[in-house]
Amino acid sequence: MSRWLLLLCACVPLIAADEYVGSAVCKTCHADVWFNFYKNPHYKSIASGDQPPERTGCEGCHGPGKAHVEARGGKTTIPRAFSLMQPKAVLDACLNCHARDFSKSNIRRSQHSLADVVCTNCHSIHKSPAAQFLLAKKQTDLCYSCHADVRAQFSMPFKHRVNEGFMNCTDCHNPHGSFAPTWGMAEGNAMVERAEGNEQPCLKCHADKRGPFAYEHPPVRVEGCGVCHMPHGSTNAKLLLRPVVFTLCLRCHNGADSFGTRNNGIPALSNTHNMLDPRYQRCTLCHVRIHGSNSDGYFFR
Amino acid sequence: MARAALAQQVAAPTPDQAGSPRGENTGDYNVTDSVETGYRFAVVNGSVGTYRSDVNYGDGIRLFSANLSVNSRDGHGRWFDQIVLTATGLGNDPYQSVTLRVEKNKLYRYDMLWRLDDYFNPGLPVAAGLHLMDTSRHMQDHNLTLLPESKIRFHLGYSRNTQDGPALSTVQLCFDGNIYCSTAGNEFPVFENVRREQNEYRLGADVDLAGFKLTLLHTWVFFKDDSGYQENGLEPGDNPSTGVTLSQFQRSEPYHGASPYWLGNLNRSGKTLAVNGRVTYVDGKRNFIMDENAFGVTPLGAQNQQVLVGGDASRPSLTGDLSISVFPTSRLTLVNNTSIDSTRIDGTSDYEQYNLATQTADFISFRYLGLRTIANATDFHYRMKSWFSFYGGYRYSERRIEDIEDYAVPGPFSGATYVQQNHLQAGLLGVRIKPLKAMTINLESEIGYANQPFTPVSDRDYHTLGGRIDYRVKKLTLGAVYKENYNNNSVTLSSYSSHARTYSANAAWAPRDWFTLDASYSKLHLDSLSGIVFFAGIDAASPLTSNQVYISNIHAANLIARFVLAKRVDLYVGYTITDDTGDGRGSAAPAGISDPTTVIFAPVQTFPLSYQAPLARVSIRLREKLRWNAGWQYYNYHEDFGLESFYQGYHANTGYTSVSWAF
Repeated sequence: MSRWLLLLCACVPLIAADEYVGSAVCKTCHADVWFNFYKNPHYKSIASGDQPPERTGCEGCHGPGKAHVEARGGKTTIPRAFSLMQPKAVLDACLNCHARDFSKSNIRRSQHSLADVVCTNCHSIHKSPAAQFLLAKKQTDLCYSCHADVRAQFSMPFKHRVNEGFMNCTDCHNPHGSFAPTWGMAEGNAMVERAEGNEQPCLKCHADKRGPFAYEHPPVRVEGCGVCHMPHGSTNAKLLLRPVVFTLCLRCHNGADSFGTRNNGIPALSNTHNMLDPRYQRCTLCHVRIHGSNSDGYFFR
Repeated sequence: MARAALAQQVAAPTPDQAGSPRGENTGDYNVTDSVETGYRFAVVNGSVGTYRSDVNYGDGIRLFSANLSVNSRDGHGRWFDQIVLTATGLGNDPYQSVTLRVEKNKLYRYDMLWRLDDYFNPGLPVAAGLHLMDTSRHMQDHNLTLLPESKIRFHLGYSRNTQDGPALSTVQLCFDGNIYCSTAGNEFPVFENVRREQNEYRLGADVDLAGFKLTLLHTWVFFKDDSGYQENGLEPGDNPSTGVTLSQFQRSEPYHGASPYWLGNLNRSGKTLAVNGRVTYVDGKRNFIMDENAFGVTPLGAQNQQVLVGGDASRPSLTGDLSISVFPTSRLTLVNNTSIDSTRIDGTSDYEQYNLATQTADFISFRYLGLRTIANATDFHYRMKSWFSFYGGYRYSERRIEDIEDYAVPGPFSGATYVQQNHLQAGLLGVRIKPLKAMTINLESEIGYANQPFTPVSDRDYHTLGGRIDYRVKKLTLGAVYKENYNNNSVTLSSYSSHARTYSANAAWAPRDWFTLDASYSKLHLDSLSGIVFFAGIDAASPLTSNQVYISNIHAANLIARFVLAKRVDLYVGYTITDDTGDGRGSAAPAGISDPTTVIFAPVQTFPLSYQAPLARVSIRLREKLRWNAGWQYYNYHEDFGLESFYQGYHANTGYTSVSWAF
């Protein structure tokens, strides 16, 4: 056993404590960074006074500074110069401390991490203009800079109020990764942040649609809100996928074999529904509780 | 020029802070503050209801924004080390928010978020002008973390979500003693007083132990809805030819419920191995009752009707996840995730309906819906060279759906149990190339197949193609994205297919401190084909089958330029347009058609419209800490064909003038 320990010690490059110079030395040259650093959340590591050198101040992130000082500067002499590091190395460095957050439980498998979009792509540690989270830009600008199609959706006539400041992208998404969206089938992980348990995030705000109902409209639970709604924005009222509601309902309610809860088709309309009459083109005029009902299997009440 | 808030609409407050961003020192603290207040106006022509639904800014004085930060200069403040307070739109804006963070290093961290959304639904033609709503949603979240830097951290939280306001709902009545109107019914608007409320309490802890992090969380969610409905006055309804009118209506249907929720999560994150396991359990329950009284007149004379419903519903749901990420080398990432989700929905309803005399129809019915999904996904990412990597994945899902529908009265679904299973398999492959340090090219494709999809519009036989190219240097960002999704769901009676294509490009250029430019363009193209079945004509004997086509071809563009003139004037101009060109037709229905069903379905195959919003904003520094701001935004919404002969277009001039003060 002791031989294994000796071998382990030989393999792990130990950094002598005297390789660390302390943040006070760093500020000699980097006064611009130091000047407001007490406002930075990372200043806690200095203020606490009880953290080891490898978790304190500048060197907590950038590594021991002795070589950098002796070389009188230069990026290449900084053990962890983030602008020179590979994405995974950046992630490893930040997760040394930040892996403890529950919100980052899935960061190793998030779509962002797998696409090499890592911490410093969205966070600016020294020059953040944002009030919180050291974001490199306002959150919407940050997300829109890659997701231009989503920006277009939030500029449509009917949309969730993201540009207006009522909501943020992170109300529904976790950019650090989320758990698998098992409300759907083998869905790609769009980093959607769920509500309770495994519910869709829509239900965090639209609690009246959550149920449980004595009569659930099955696709709400089986396929999710996206089967009828566009979550970001739409040219149709109520973020619907179609401009008029009967074309939306008829897509599924056609009796086509093998679909639905009974395997024999989702019920087609009865012959009392004369589609030539405008009354029957407005399905939710009668089926008012279309998301689910306590009182009526056909969602009339 | 990161401070240029390029996506801002004019409605949002001016992003620039006047004065020094470093604030002023007071004792052991540094304080920065900025406040912007002023007057907003809106002049609307056309459909005011649609404007309120889309934009909803009105006249009045507002606190456009406020930002306060107080920071301890040595990290050893007596009661706190940091306070950050932000506010937007307070006073009169339809979208208001306040955030607050108060933190004392090592001891506590408190976060608060308060929001208000004024929601207006004008009752668009999809509901025949009914379902009008004018409600407010208030949301607040409070989170307190105790000992935030220790190995054991405690979390307490409270959230509240309320929605209230007047609305119009609808009710269908026929007074024939039959639950589902065996005779011709009529639909009436009824006033609804919306009162919904949800309260959530959270208690949890994080524990760091031996390299693992354990999270335990318990929440108690209580929700209720006490909305009431009533109508006093003669209502001819949507179908006056039946001779059924409503003279008085009252309905109360309160429900109360709770969703106790447990979460346990175990996480270990290392440089070669990361593991995360999670279990959640939630047992949603609600109890409800409904009492409905209606008085009206039918061709048979005066009628009244009472409906009573009482019952409960429950939904226990269990979810488990296990995710393992392995990094055998610095170049290779392997991730496997297994998830299990089991949800059962069960309820009972006792239903009684009384008609004028003593006729009573009682029955008990319930529905059970059980869903169980098992999903496994394996992804890999191999960075072969610093400039070339490839990745892929395989996903498998199996879902079992059990349904029981039971009615005490004889019926086709009486007491029957139905079970179906669906397997979906999907594969993903992609490459990522960095020909230049600043350039990334990404190409990927996914193909999937499900054997028993739940609905005709679900994924069955689908594939996606995607590509992305990004070029990023300090002052210039260029990007372009292509995504294509094709799904074909053929069935015996009809077929459904959808083909969605998204093209987008964006550019951000900041050549000088005094000039930035941001532009984006997206083309969102969707065409789908649905097999539909319907009846045309009164009590038609045979259904008609047809294919319903829907084509949406949206061009969206955004252009924003920001100038700083003479170091004291900020000028911000922008233009946003959404233009759905539809399928290119010149009129809603092709000329010369007489077939009545074609007359109905042809005009809704496409819905061309345009929505434009140019804006301009100027901010002038009057003193070191004082600025004057003014903004203007014009909205123009136009529907080419309208819906069911309704045109909801509007144009509006909105703007504001304000002063901002900061130190």
